[in-house]
Amino acid sequence: MLEGVNAIETHELRKEYRGRAVVDSLTLTVPPGEVFGFLGPNGAGKSTTVKMLLGLVHPTAGRAQVLGGSPHDPAVRARLGFLPEQFRFQTWMTAEEFLRFHGRLAGLKAAELGARIPQVLETVGLGGRGGETLGGYSKGMLQRAGLAGAILARPALVFLDEPTSALDPIGRVEVREIIERLRGEGTAVFLNSHLLSEVEQVCDRVAFVKRGRVLQQGSMRELMGGVLPLDVRVDHLPPGLLDTLSGLGELRHTDTNTPGRADVELWLDHEDAIPAVASAIHAAGARLYALNPRRPDLETMFLDLIEDTPDSSARAARLGQGAARA
Amino acid sequence: MRNALLIAELSLREAVRKRLVSVLLLLTALFLGFYLYGIVRLEGTLDQRSLEAGLDGRSLNGASNLPVIYSAMFGMYLVYFLGSLMAVLSTVGAVSGDIENGVMQSVIARPISRAQLVLGRWLGFGAVNLGYVALLSAGLLGGVYAITGYLPPEPLAATGLILLATLLLTALTVLGSTLFTTLANGIGVFVLYGVGFTGGILGSIGTFADTPTLTTLGRAANALMPTNALWLGASYHLQPEVALQVSEAARGANPFFADAPIAAGLVVWAVALTVLAVLGATQRFSRRDL
Ligand SMILES: Nc1ncnc2c1ncn2[C@@H]1O[C@H](COP(=O)(O)OP(=O)(O)OP(=O)(O)O)[C@@H](O)[C@H]1O
Ligand SMILES: [Mg+2]
Repeated sequence: MLEGVNAIETHELRKEYRGRAVVDSLTLTVPPGEVFGFLGPNGAGKSTTVKMLLGLVHPTAGRAQVLGGSPHDPAVRARLGFLPEQFRFQTWMTAEEFLRFHGRLAGLKAAELGARIPQVLETVGLGGRGGETLGGYSKGMLQRAGLAGAILARPALVFLDEPTSALDPIGRVEVREIIERLRGEGTAVFLNSHLLSEVEQVCDRVAFVKRGRVLQQGSMRELMGGVLPLDVRVDHLPPGLLDTLSGLGELRHTDTNTPGRADVELWLDHEDAIPAVASAIHAAGARLYALNPRRPDLETMFLDLIEDTPDSSARAARLGQGAARA
Repeated sequence: MRNALLIAELSLREAVRKRLVSVLLLLTALFLGFYLYGIVRLEGTLDQRSLEAGLDGRSLNGASNLPVIYSAMFGMYLVYFLGSLMAVLSTVGAVSGDIENGVMQSVIARPISRAQLVLGRWLGFGAVNLGYVALLSAGLLGGVYAITGYLPPEPLAATGLILLATLLLTALTVLGSTLFTTLANGIGVFVLYGVGFTGGILGSIGTFADTPTLTTLGRAANALMPTNALWLGASYHLQPEVALQVSEAARGANPFFADAPIAAGLVVWAVALTVLAVLGATQRFSRRDL
């Protein structure tokens, strides 16, 4: 495997349909082995981007490199896996025939396939059902079969276009586990989704797209501007405690409306400050009921970015509201 | 090439699994059974008549055997027609169908070139269609021979030309399925087939009525779509001397049969057009967004 070659590199990638840009100046880098989340509302150009990276759609302008080569090169595609957004396959085939066909296209040997097919079917939760024709599969089972096809040939990079759109809650957890296993094996994953919770839990980095343009990209922490929101609940606020806390981080919100308890939201610069917050509360003589560092909340960021509110004050206000809800 | 063969194999298995092959076999049996039963009855009547006329037997290639000769020829015309119908109908969605139902995306994402896919589709469907026409021709001519003892003068050359027409139509239909939706393609190729047939009719009226303009129009249509010319060429090889004399006497009044062999140039053109259609299909499909 080519170590050090980026899984994906695009430069000013652009696609127009009838003169309208659906993907515009897309510049992305996904290092090898990374799980990358590509987020955006309906029609943002996520699927179009994936199809360009697979050579299914020809870019109008710009450059795309996948695993160090062109996606139009079959040798490059031999090391890719793909679960399309519309997982439609030959309905007359059984799942095993479908996987055998795709395995042979990918260049796997018959003996290899004999061992690998039951293995991937088991992985996606279709163990024992590989002999049924795809025409008789339910929607979720079809998506699972497609996922089996995507990971069949042990690719170096897997594109998953909304891989859980048809899955039950257990299926969603299983997909997360599959993605984590892929990461463990050093496989890069490009995950298209608008299910934020899903992306939040597995992705190393994310990019937000809207109308074909990337609004922001980076690790979750970077996207949050480096802050870590911390929810604190105490029985009361002894005098001086708020002053001490505002020395440790930025005091965002205080709620003392309910008798017998007080909620405080604090934005810290680093998680190392959390023990200091606990000590300060203890020293002030208050009883500590809750101390929750909140993971960066993609949902809130998503809504912010997607709505036309580019100024950061509106975003901060929204983050505050999110805290009040929580 | 390995990938193209893989796709061809897939197309063959698809034809078997979607019951295309079993339906075809059943209909072939029905068609041949029906037609050959007619020939059995015809043969009986002819024998009866020659007995009544006090003759010992009929010469196989003589005028008295013309009904049998023409049955074999019209039978082969039906084979050509059914083969063409089959070539269009079975292949009409070869590429567009898979694009329309979304199957194509996961296939093309694999390390297979688009040219290989188109080639494989053409080979696979071509094999089904050729097999069908070969089976029908063998069944019909073999059946006629078994019943009456008559065999047209050059059955292999005739069948070869019909097979070429089938392969050409398959290629044009594959090309159409990279250009149009499945429905539009089906209609389009049938119209082309009609152009070929019109060419044959115009040509024969032109000859009959001695109108050079019509003959030229007919030639142009035949060049554009040589399937009908291929059939006419095949019909020449199916006629013994006595039938050719009848055709000549009719001076082209019969647009179904020809009294001259096909021009070698037209055969070459038909082969070239087949290759061009497949190449055009690979070109077109390679440019297409999926
Ligand atoms: N073949 C096409 N012809 C014309 N327009 C297209 C075509 N494919 C996509 N588009 C347009 O491109 C835009 C982006 O489509 P795309 O499928 O990439 O969106 P998406 O981000 O995947 O959305 P979703 O979340 O709904 O899957 C849409 O506005 C769509 O109308
Ligand atoms: Mg999409």
